[in-house]
Amino acid sequence: MDRFIAAFEEKVMPVAGKISEQKHLKAIRDGIILAMPFIIVGSVFLILGFLPIPGYNEFMARTFGEKWLTKLLYPVGVTFDLMAVFVSVGVAYRLAENYKVDAISAGAISLASFLLVTPFKVMFTPEGAKQAVEVGGAIPAALMGSKGMFVAMIMAIISTEIYRKIIQKGIVIKMPAGVPPAVSKSFVALIPTAAVITVTWVIRLGFEMTSWGDMHNFITKVLSGPLSILGASLFGAVGSELLVQLFWSVGLHGANLVSGVMGPIWLQLMDQNRAVFQANPGAQLPNVVTQQFFDNFIHIGGSGATLSLVVLLLTVARSKQLKSLGRLSIGAGIFNINEPITFGMPIVLNPIMIIPFVLSPIAIVIISYIAMSTGLVARPAGIAVPWTTPPVISGYLATGGKISGAVLQIVNFFVTMAIYYPFVKMWDKKKVEEEKMSEEAA
Amino acid sequence: MNILLCCAAGMSTSLLVQKMEAEAKNMGLDAKIWAVSVDEIRNHIDKADVLLVGPQIRYKLASLKELGKEKGIPVEMINTVDYGTLNGKNVVNFALKLLNK
Repeated sequence: MDRFIAAFEEKVMPVAGKISEQKHLKAIRDGIILAMPFIIVGSVFLILGFLPIPGYNEFMARTFGEKWLTKLLYPVGVTFDLMAVFVSVGVAYRLAENYKVDAISAGAISLASFLLVTPFKVMFTPEGAKQAVEVGGAIPAALMGSKGMFVAMIMAIISTEIYRKIIQKGIVIKMPAGVPPAVSKSFVALIPTAAVITVTWVIRLGFEMTSWGDMHNFITKVLSGPLSILGASLFGAVGSELLVQLFWSVGLHGANLVSGVMGPIWLQLMDQNRAVFQANPGAQLPNVVTQQFFDNFIHIGGSGATLSLVVLLLTVARSKQLKSLGRLSIGAGIFNINEPITFGMPIVLNPIMIIPFVLSPIAIVIISYIAMSTGLVARPAGIAVPWTTPPVISGYLATGGKISGAVLQIVNFFVTMAIYYPFVKMWDKKKVEEEKMSEEAA
Repeated sequence: MNILLCCAAGMSTSLLVQKMEAEAKNMGLDAKIWAVSVDEIRNHIDKADVLLVGPQIRYKLASLKELGKEKGIPVEMINTVDYGTLNGKNVVNFALKLLNK
């Protein structure tokens, strides 16, 4: 077993290193971080708009007028609905920073190229009309949100790669003798921008010649569409969770590594739910799997759903060491932080504890997926509840104020407890024996 | 003496920071100890004399060591046992050892 784990670690480390250090993946991850505070702030307004308190709507309408909800949700329009804009600037900025070229210029150029591949037209249905008409001269708000996010990411990478290559190669314009050096310098500064805009322009024209019409259509059909179908499936959810747990089993931050790849997909799924929820909080939401599905419903107590394990240590363990570990880690565990458990118990590289550590979260992924897809439990409403929010509260908030979300977390807690129980007993027995031996020796 | 810790989100290292601060006080050390997420490291490393890395992000150790070399400060991974048991004393001593090298 030890040899197997050592071999696994040897195989996994380079993969983990590559995922976390690959320049473009890293830039995407760091760039998305720029959007996160906005999304959380937007979520607060969403929650306030849809508080599930009887009489709340009537009270708000009486106090602030009939249009209170529309007005309250104005900030959502510049938080959730500008996700692609933040990502466009953020990804380019972080990538440029990594290449040590001027980051703010790269961000601005990236934004320009994202907008350049976006046709400035929207479909509008005038009152009384049957057919929508195309209105020009308007930036389509729908593509500035998560719908345009993949295009924003791709254009950020393309534009920044062109930008930095030109800067790093030091391409210059030779001016005839007699032209002041300052003048030729000012032309040099234009080259990267000119190159990026020209290339992007050609991309736009290219797509216009195809049946897709524009890049957004193309990316949705061939990339983000298929990816989100995969990400939203039970297979995708179990596969992702399995990877998270296998990484953690050798002591690597699996959630961080896996969301480094899956993050944009989960974010898009989450925002699809948010849009439907915002339009009608009672409607059936399209997706089960979102970032909150994992953060709030699966990682109860941290990756591996270890809160139930901590409670077992506090209640049934007899070993002094495990009892004190339980006391040490319960506080952090409530806020879903569990490194004292993973490294302290330890679970990492411990063949006995790795088994329930992998099985527990997989079991509750399947339970939660079935409960939510059959409609037994409300789906995550696209509200970004931070992963450190304690369970029960987080389940209630993440589902947009549905009790069923909190109930599912309680069920998941007890399911994982049942899975951990025999293994905790086994490990506890071993520890008690060890403690007895060292006492006798002393 | 400024000891900077980092992990994925800076959460679990902040648990360790509390223990280390208490230990440093006991030892009569004048130490500033704080934890950040690995994404923010560039904004903090200039203020640090030593950088300690949580073992769960040891796949970042190589690139962080490189950064440390650039800034001229030692960068090392925290021992997993000390990390798991939140052993402030051992980690403070580890930091001291790195600084005196």
